[in-house]
Amino acid sequence: MINFGFSISKPRAIDIDRNNLRKSNEIIREMPELQACIGCGSCTASCTAGNLTEFNFRKVHTLVRRGEYQGAYEEMNKCMLCGKCRLVCPRGINTRGIVMLIKRKLGDF
Amino acid sequence: MTFFANFCIPFIVGALIMFAVIVIKYLSWLRNLPKKDWILIIKNIFTWRTITAVWEVVSESLLHRRIFKVNPKLGYMHMSLAFGWFLLIAVGWAETVAYLGFRWVPLQGHVFFKYFVPLNGITAHKPLFDFVMDLLLLFVLSGVAMAWLKRARSRALGMKKTTNHILFDRIALSALWFIFPLRLIAESITCAIYGGGSFLTGGIGILLSKSIGVEALNFVYEPAWWLYSTALGVFFVAMPFSRYMHIFTEVPLIFLRHYKLRPEAKEKSYDNFEVEACSRCGICIDPCQLQSQLGINEVQSVYFLRDRRYNMLQQKIANNCLMCGRCEQICPVGINLNTLRLNSRSTMRNIPNESRYNYLRGTDRSQGEGKVGYFAGCMTLLTPKTLSSMQRIFEAAHESVWWADKDGGVCCGRPLKLSGEVDSAQKMIDYNCALFEKHQIKTLVTSCPICLKVFREEYNLEGIEVLHHSEYILRLMKQGRLKVRYMRGSTFTYHDPCELGRGSGIYDQPRAVIEAVGELLEPKHNRKNALCCGSSVANTAINDGQQLTIASAVASELEATGAETIVTACPLCKKAITRGTQQQVADLSEIVAQSLK
Amino acid sequence: MKHVIVIGGGIAGMQCASELLRHGVAVTIIEKDKDLGGKIRNWHKLFPTFTPADEVLAEMRHRLKVSSNLTVKTNCEATKITAKRVTLSSGEELKCDATVIATGFTLFDAKIKEEYGYGIYDNVITSADLEQMFNENNVRLKQGGTPRRIAILHCVGSRDEKVCQRHCSKVCCVTGVKQAMELKEMFPTADVFNFYMDIRMFGPGYEEMYREAQTKHNVHFVRGRISEVSPTIDNRLQIKAEDTLTGRPLKIGVDMLVLLIGMKANDLNQTLVEECNLQAQPSGFMRAKDSFLHNVESNVGGVFYAGAVTAPKNVGESINEGTSAAHAVVEWLEKR
Repeated sequence: MINFGFSISKPRAIDIDRNNLRKSNEIIREMPELQACIGCGSCTASCTAGNLTEFNFRKVHTLVRRGEYQGAYEEMNKCMLCGKCRLVCPRGINTRGIVMLIKRKLGDF
Repeated sequence: MTFFANFCIPFIVGALIMFAVIVIKYLSWLRNLPKKDWILIIKNIFTWRTITAVWEVVSESLLHRRIFKVNPKLGYMHMSLAFGWFLLIAVGWAETVAYLGFRWVPLQGHVFFKYFVPLNGITAHKPLFDFVMDLLLLFVLSGVAMAWLKRARSRALGMKKTTNHILFDRIALSALWFIFPLRLIAESITCAIYGGGSFLTGGIGILLSKSIGVEALNFVYEPAWWLYSTALGVFFVAMPFSRYMHIFTEVPLIFLRHYKLRPEAKEKSYDNFEVEACSRCGICIDPCQLQSQLGINEVQSVYFLRDRRYNMLQQKIANNCLMCGRCEQICPVGINLNTLRLNSRSTMRNIPNESRYNYLRGTDRSQGEGKVGYFAGCMTLLTPKTLSSMQRIFEAAHESVWWADKDGGVCCGRPLKLSGEVDSAQKMIDYNCALFEKHQIKTLVTSCPICLKVFREEYNLEGIEVLHHSEYILRLMKQGRLKVRYMRGSTFTYHDPCELGRGSGIYDQPRAVIEAVGELLEPKHNRKNALCCGSSVANTAINDGQQLTIASAVASELEATGAETIVTACPLCKKAITRGTQQQVADLSEIVAQSLK
Repeated sequence: MKHVIVIGGGIAGMQCASELLRHGVAVTIIEKDKDLGGKIRNWHKLFPTFTPADEVLAEMRHRLKVSSNLTVKTNCEATKITAKRVTLSSGEELKCDATVIATGFTLFDAKIKEEYGYGIYDNVITSADLEQMFNENNVRLKQGGTPRRIAILHCVGSRDEKVCQRHCSKVCCVTGVKQAMELKEMFPTADVFNFYMDIRMFGPGYEEMYREAQTKHNVHFVRGRISEVSPTIDNRLQIKAEDTLTGRPLKIGVDMLVLLIGMKANDLNQTLVEECNLQAQPSGFMRAKDSFLHNVESNVGGVFYAGAVTAPKNVGESINEGTSAAHAVVEWLEKR
């Protein structure tokens, strides 16, 4: 099946009014630099894990910031923390720190 | 003979509590040692290792030889307190024997001997002992004076910053500061009343009796001994809960270390000995670039160990470390600071997850064929000059090469280990091991020191020799398979990557390669004292601007050598230093490829 | 007669000098190259009208008529600048009544972005190299032949903290669109892909140009920044990016990669700050007295700015600033 980057089975809008942004706000408060993302995709393009499997750091953290947490922890677990993305990010975002923070906030440790 | 007076109570109670707590602590730590550690102990205890351990106890716990090497003033301070106090006890014991012959005297009898001498009607003095005891007391007091000075002005003792202490430490520290001055006062008063003593206690005693009068002194005589005993008692009670626990803990630690016990990737009981052997001397603070460049306090090894010991370690402290190893290298107690920090991170973050990284299964994007495998490393894919230089070097040496990750590979696992996710990292290790085995390589060359370290230490690569490209290039040159031109007039300086230098002990090979192509100019900090570039994957706490600040400071030190080209041997260091300088920064392989004949 | 020294003989400096001469002021131009004209000498055509840069330069030279009041010192650099005196690298000192700094910008050195392979792979070139190729009418691959697929990467050395260039260089977007169109005109069958983070079409006619590039020239625009470039066995370039609009990694093989290098603050600005008491912005570009009412004046009375020394500017803006600076100088001289 062609993957369009979104799933047909859940045709729903990101409803910011209904989403609970508490976690998202906590994440941003702890690492405000995440908001500096301009979505250039360098991280995803260079991603070692993304080269082998479907994993899109940019998309996952953007969804998390919008309050869409479902599956984010599992997605972030695909990351190998190799650090290439931090080296290419033009906004100087501490991407590895973000991965760990999102896992900490949405996971169980 | 009487060897008891009421003022002894604080001392006796304090000493009893101290010994009880220490014994309980050591027994429980030993009891919880894993079985394989016990096997090591039993295997090694009746060997020469025990004897060398005894010698190390003398040279380190008493003489503090290693601190002397780092900072002589600080060494003297520690030695005067430890060795001086030890001699006071030892000579004091000899003194009782000299006076009373071999007979049992309770502990307080030895400690407060000067008090009990007149009480037991002994009138004859032994001037030699008086003199030696005074000399030793002076020795210790000089150390106390230096400790005061260090608190007030740490720079006077060659330290930019000294440790910030917690409450228990402050109590114990204050008590310790007063023990010896109070002893001096109590003994001087005794000498003033009953005579005896040498140049110090005796001298002060004469001064006191002349200026105050014996009658007045009789009035403060008992209180002075009370104060001395109380200071000792307070110190003893606070001791096992404070940093002074190191005084005793360093001794079993030295023995266990000689029996080859080491901290590991996950916390274990042995770690307690290392953690509590930290004297919080603060020597680890100054070399920390997070402190010197960024002004970050409270994260250095001394604070990390303190927080871990009192169970108040936070992730943000544990994560804020470059793991450059500069502190570990200088630690006078030789604590495995990086390993301890890593296993703390593991305790905080390791969640075994069997299904994690299942996507790795079956992937193999390697190219080429050969007995030599080249693993560029993730970061090296972002420094293609290194890749193309390595390709030219392989071609020049007519080496057929299997390229493991030219089109992207699987991470070596070390970054994940550095962040504490030890079990998950194993998945990557297993994957790469299987990949290397499948392609039947005999030699594995990597350009990334981070990969190198984990390949050497954690990978089970039987029959495969692991080399950093600096070692490999040097070998090719020595074998005559790689001929380079010496470029007269070219100057280079070399930045030691942490993982390659302190991490893997490779200092000479890259230098030998550089000297084959041009002149090498050493920066101020080099080899085991080399600075960290600041971009270490071990640190997930500092931000980009802070990384840049460190990189710029390192770059300016390298620029100061006046060399045309800054050379390093790690893709991460290269990227970091390039940000901090306008000068040309090159990987070792580039300058070799440039000068190929 | 009043005497003003203009440092930098690019378009801003030339315009400023000609305007000053018109107002009866004696002018000395200090130019580090052997000719006047600055960077525009290496440009081919100017956006958005595709006017040949030569035409603009010819007109600028025409405006700067030979006059006994004009001295041009080429192959010459200024080391210290005050309102009353300029010291040259030769050690010579020139007296004056005011100075105008029109030293422009420095082009970003693409070699610093090592992952893009400039200086490593033959067919990775910069936008400046491409202009040169256009001028020589010699756009071809290093190994010979014409490119069938070309990628153009925006924001190289701009908006990039990793190379300490936070600012937007402003003109690269439109340059990228212009060059894409020129390439398509030259090689109608070739595919051109522009990789961008944002397309910033700030000037009149720019957006229209963008649309024309898309619809008339069929230039492909991919929203994603290239992360790595590697060689392929057949001597082409393999590019990795994320196609952020589909959220998927993208790989593409191309024959040629053009890097749109940004405008960096002039390397000399550091000297201006250290030696001449002038102020720079965090980006390294010089700081005008204020951004609205005194944008060609410096913090030092009698020292003026014109052109890209204060910020990235296009050709028209730089020429306008030359005029503005001249007027500000004249006004300042009248008050003395």
